[in-house]
Amino acid sequence: MLKLNKDSVLGTFVIIISFCLVCSVLVSSAVVALDPFKVAAIANDRQVNILKVSGFDVEGSVADTYAKHIEAHLLDVDAGVLADDAVNASEIDGYNFASLAKKPETSVAIAADHDRAGIRSHSKYMPIYFSKDENGNVVRVILPFYGQALWSTVYGYVAIDPVDGNTIKAVTFYSHGETPGLGGEIENPRWQAFWVDKKINDATGAYKFRITKNADHQGEGKDFEIDALSGATLTSNGVNNTAAYWLGDAYQPFLKNLIKGEIIK
Amino acid sequence: MSDAKIPGLKESFLEPLIANNPVMIQVLGICSSLAVTSSMKTAFVMGLSVTAVTAISNLAVSCVRNFIPGSVRIIAQMTIIASLVIIVDQILRAFAYDLSKQLSVYVGLIITNCIVMGRTEGFALKYPPLPSLMDGLGNGIGYSLVLCIVATIREIFGSGTWFGMTILPTVNNGGWYVPCGLLVMPPCAFFLVGGLIWLVKCFRKDLQEPLEYDTHREDY
Repeated sequence: MLKLNKDSVLGTFVIIISFCLVCSVLVSSAVVALDPFKVAAIANDRQVNILKVSGFDVEGSVADTYAKHIEAHLLDVDAGVLADDAVNASEIDGYNFASLAKKPETSVAIAADHDRAGIRSHSKYMPIYFSKDENGNVVRVILPFYGQALWSTVYGYVAIDPVDGNTIKAVTFYSHGETPGLGGEIENPRWQAFWVDKKINDATGAYKFRITKNADHQGEGKDFEIDALSGATLTSNGVNNTAAYWLGDAYQPFLKNLIKGEIIK
Repeated sequence: MSDAKIPGLKESFLEPLIANNPVMIQVLGICSSLAVTSSMKTAFVMGLSVTAVTAISNLAVSCVRNFIPGSVRIIAQMTIIASLVIIVDQILRAFAYDLSKQLSVYVGLIITNCIVMGRTEGFALKYPPLPSLMDGLGNGIGYSLVLCIVATIREIFGSGTWFGMTILPTVNNGGWYVPCGLLVMPPCAFFLVGGLIWLVKCFRKDLQEPLEYDTHREDY
């Protein structure tokens, strides 16, 4: 056998290359072997969060409840109409709007004066979810939304009443990097409960929902305003702007069509 | 590289727990201990991950220590450590997705955690596999120990919970406890780690560094 001097130039190269080979084989086999588990974990996470705002409790397994009550559709955001045919049916549910928003061919740039969420571009299509009761009636429409808060991009789902297309029924935030205990309180169910039954637009159709200090609890704003989180003004502002962009701007064509009865027939 | 004086297994495991604790005595790995200790769950998982990485990388580096060319030994160690960290990250993503979201970049940053590099370079390169494994385990657990102590204080007094269980019902959730906002911010971990170092050195006088000046000198 060839006796290799490990400190010679050749020896160094040979040893380092074989090190790298062994390590890359290890890493890539771990990645490939764990991939099905990762896909399942991501899907399960999404389903859990969608079910949180669907109005249905998990009975039995998450996947079963999800299959029973949730129907995924693809929304052409700017046109405000469903576009389920744009991609394969199997791709709709986990449609990765966040990464597709960064690719020029699948996204739409947001004009600077509209970009209140600070995301610069949005995916042309967004996955939306219909929550259905046992008889197949749509009871909630679940819309994903996301935007820049203080430290991070906050991702959430908001459920809308399909009949008036204007009432928030539930909200949840499933990914964020805000300070635990301060901005992180957007996860607090007690705060999320404030959102319930708030209206998005006023009677004239102008966007009026907002998160603000000293929200109006009695006067004419009581249907539209919720209290900001104390100690987390910048996170609250970020979430307010995110809601303003998505509910007050991007999803407005869809909500108008929803009210006209053109989405759910 | 001779294996002249091989430390005993028990000694290499127990030494880093208190007497040569990586965070408190060697003052390594401070950055990640600030970042992940706002809740017990993240601290615990981070501790486990670091323990796994230090132990296995120590073992692996020690096994190949006689083949690593001296001129590129740091790179060779990094290759091993980085591969292990990626594998740990992948495992977390597959089986503890929620936690891996909370730990976000910090799992990847184990690669740069000075403890891991410090132990492979300082210990595993010189000693045989078994003591190296024990040393890695000991250092990982020593690190986890500090993380868990800091996280316990921060989570209980900062968020009123421990491992997510309510200990002190906070005002935000309808209780009476007004959480201490400072404790959830990273700088507070500095104070806690500092306090721990002081405590340990109070009880273990032998760990105190000698004074840098002589109090008996006349001009003092």
